[in-house]
Amino acid sequence: MSPITEWAAALMNPSPVALIIAILVALSIPIFLHSIVFRASGLTTLPSILLLGPSGSGKTSLLTLFERGTNPADTHTSQSPIAVECHLPVGATATSDKYRSVNDPTANSTYKKFLLIDTPGHGKLRHHALDNLTNPQNLKGIIFVADAATLSAGDEGLRQTADYLHDVLLLLQKRMESKNKAAKKLRDIPVLIAANKMDLFTALPAALVKSTLEAEITKIRTSRSKRLLDSGIGIEDDAENDDWLGEIGSKEFKFSQMEEFDVLVEVAGGKVAGGDGPAVDKWWKWVSERL
Amino acid sequence: MLDTFEILTTSGVVLWSKTYSAISPAIINSLITNVFIEERTLTHPGSGVADDVSAANNPPYKYDQHTVKWTAVKELGIIFVAVYRSLLHLSWIDKLVDNIKTLFVDLYGDQLKKPHTTVVECHFDEYFDQQVRELEKTALNQDTRAPQSTNSLQESSISGAGDARDEPPPLPGLLSKGGPKYNKDSTSNESTPIATPDTSRPSTPASHLLVGKGGPGGKGSRRARKAAIASTYASSGDESHSRRTRAAKSAGPKKGRKWDADGLADEDSDTPLDYSAPANGATSGEDEGQTLPGSVEQVDQESWGSKTGKGQFVLKDLDDQVNSILASADAKKGQTTAASSGIVGSSISAIGGLFRNVVGGKTLTKEDLDKAMKGMEDHLLRKNVAREAAVRLCEGVERELIGVKTGNFESVQARIQTAMESSLRKILTPTSSLDLLREIDAVTSPSSLSLQKRRPYVISIVGVNGVGKSTNLSKICFFLLQNKYKVLVVACDTFRSGAVEQLAVHVRNLKELTVREGGKVELYQKGYGKDAANVAKDAVTFAAQEGFDVVLIDTAGRRHNDQRLMSSLEKFAKFAQPDKILMVGEALVGTDSVAQARNFNVAFGSGRSLDGFIISKCDTVGDMVGTLVSMVHATNVPVLFVGVGQHYSDLRNLSVKWAVEKLLSSN
Repeated sequence: MSPITEWAAALMNPSPVALIIAILVALSIPIFLHSIVFRASGLTTLPSILLLGPSGSGKTSLLTLFERGTNPADTHTSQSPIAVECHLPVGATATSDKYRSVNDPTANSTYKKFLLIDTPGHGKLRHHALDNLTNPQNLKGIIFVADAATLSAGDEGLRQTADYLHDVLLLLQKRMESKNKAAKKLRDIPVLIAANKMDLFTALPAALVKSTLEAEITKIRTSRSKRLLDSGIGIEDDAENDDWLGEIGSKEFKFSQMEEFDVLVEVAGGKVAGGDGPAVDKWWKWVSERL
Repeated sequence: MLDTFEILTTSGVVLWSKTYSAISPAIINSLITNVFIEERTLTHPGSGVADDVSAANNPPYKYDQHTVKWTAVKELGIIFVAVYRSLLHLSWIDKLVDNIKTLFVDLYGDQLKKPHTTVVECHFDEYFDQQVRELEKTALNQDTRAPQSTNSLQESSISGAGDARDEPPPLPGLLSKGGPKYNKDSTSNESTPIATPDTSRPSTPASHLLVGKGGPGGKGSRRARKAAIASTYASSGDESHSRRTRAAKSAGPKKGRKWDADGLADEDSDTPLDYSAPANGATSGEDEGQTLPGSVEQVDQESWGSKTGKGQFVLKDLDDQVNSILASADAKKGQTTAASSGIVGSSISAIGGLFRNVVGGKTLTKEDLDKAMKGMEDHLLRKNVAREAAVRLCEGVERELIGVKTGNFESVQARIQTAMESSLRKILTPTSSLDLLREIDAVTSPSSLSLQKRRPYVISIVGVNGVGKSTNLSKICFFLLQNKYKVLVVACDTFRSGAVEQLAVHVRNLKELTVREGGKVELYQKGYGKDAANVAKDAVTFAAQEGFDVVLIDTAGRRHNDQRLMSSLEKFAKFAQPDKILMVGEALVGTDSVAQARNFNVAFGSGRSLDGFIISKCDTVGDMVGTLVSMVHATNVPVLFVGVGQHYSDLRNLSVKWAVEKLLSSN
């Protein structure tokens, strides 16, 4: 007899060893698969909050403040985006933890972490931010940081801030038409307009920030509607005339008009730096409500 | 004196900083926007955001009476910046920035690679202080002895000569300085510009004192030897320069040296590092005997401690560490240059490279990129991009890609394509939004809160002959009229016969076209032979009186290299005070576009430059829209409009996406 047939015979024999091995294999495969799949998906599911805003508004400062808790680091103009893992401060509970028992031992570890993604605000580098919007990874909210001290009427800062905000909101409004699946999955997308630098003398209060931005966006969308066509028009068969932000036919733009597109805009004041320390409680509260 | 030294990441977080006198953060911010983001300063080849470029090769950036020296480590995304007053001439800053870079990367490199954090735990102050002290000291020594020149390339020979002059030997600064010259390389020892034995006699004891101690006193003591070697090694400011010059001079090939954990040379390397041994070199042999043991002791003490007197040994430890880090970094550099040999090794790596080229995951090197970049450059040239701009773009992409790993199943070409796409997009995207209508609104109907008075918005159009100034002016006019503005067209071409009549025809046509839509347009003309600047000024006053919203000024075409014609533009800009100066350039023009854009950009005197381009005749060139890139490259001025046809309505905003697609399409 050749060894091969011997082997075959041994395998076919209902020996207890072969049985045990077979059972072990059959049982371990699902466990093995589960661990692989679970671990792979576990990496990407950290909820993320996106920081947007024009250059110099204090995004990176806010990022370092959220990361370190007490003091923001010195910062300069950013050139590249960065994602930082942050924890909710002690005392703040995420909305998803609301109904957990106080004694639940897992309550302190899960879901309190989130990724804060900082993007450069310089005009030439905004594509980083817009990429994050068109291809979001578990995006829970957007913080649009604005420098409240440069938002007085007729200011260059107001124009740039409103311009950027307009573009962002328009992109969010059109997210359903985009071909990207991840963008379509975003149902509600809350936007916080964080009016930063409240410690400065010229800073507008939050309510005023809201109304000036609304007024400026009204101007922007009328002038955009009147502008020349883009040179690329006709190549791609885009619908041409739906670049109107908010309710069509409305005379004045209000942030509340965005609710129709499931974009909830809030405005809250605060400061990252300043004389008597940072004051970002409102923003933390907003963040914890999104998680 | 140095004002500030900062270490920051590309994401904008300051990791560590040392401030001697407070400076405005605007200095570094403007460095970042101008040099890194907008790439305004044209860097010479090899410099820029590339890795391992010494600060000396990066052009210093000047802003508001301050000079900024910088260098960057690309893979970690950190930038090292030193700021000092422009009045001061600090020659050692380059060296400081480089040394700090080496130290910081070595000490905290692994912390910097951690994802999802901006915090770097660093206690860098003492390292920095040590470097500053040391470099300042060497600079001081050099200044007293060789004040005539601070050129870094000459430094080694100068300091060599400085040693030769008589000088009180037992100075610690001198010790660490003189050291490397003797102890560096046996092969090149003879070729160094150290002076003859006679003159060098007073100084040579200094360099041997340490060894005198190392020999009898502490042969067994490992620590002492380590200290001796480390401190004689590679500590002084001009060390690497002298090495470099020497390496260039010495004909023989250089070997990489192996270093163990302590920074000691491996024993089996056949070149002895300890040149102080009597057998080594005729120059030092005779001096050795003359050295008195007493003086050995004395200097020994001094070289051990620091001048502060307190915490001497701690400081010495720090020096050790710093020097060994610097030395090992240098040695590594030497090794990498020496190691690229061997036929078998290279062929294996070539095969592996081919494989990875298909599969991806290949780390790109300059050789990989060279050929593909050449192809990309040719492609851009075919698209009518001026050579200068094409070279700059390609260099930028190459710099960005060297050391980058390709993704899975991504070929080198595909990687270059995407990098070039983002590069083109970056160069064409304007820094701020270009909404002409809103700017006009802001000027013609200022908000009640601001103190500005209502005035007409003035746009003037300049350009070379025959590019379509008048045509594009009427196109803009048509666009404005459709938006119900009152427009005054001013004929400032008082030179070419028929120019005024041509504009008159345009205005007549536009009147007829837009009369129903409520626009109002008038022509302002003073005939021929008048001074254009005066006509423009009168026209603006007239428009303000009559309540026009926009003034469009047509100017005479002029050759950009004709100094006489160009000089009148400065007066024109001063008199007319235009809100926007637009230059019309035709898409047909090739390499000359760079010179055109540049000359027009500077023609308006200091403090005034172009505000935008109109690229006309884009419909005639098909895909070859390279002029767009060339002009923006030359001036950093954005393209406002693109002319795409003969009708009044054939004016378009530039869509960056469209332009990039055309430039990269291959046919």
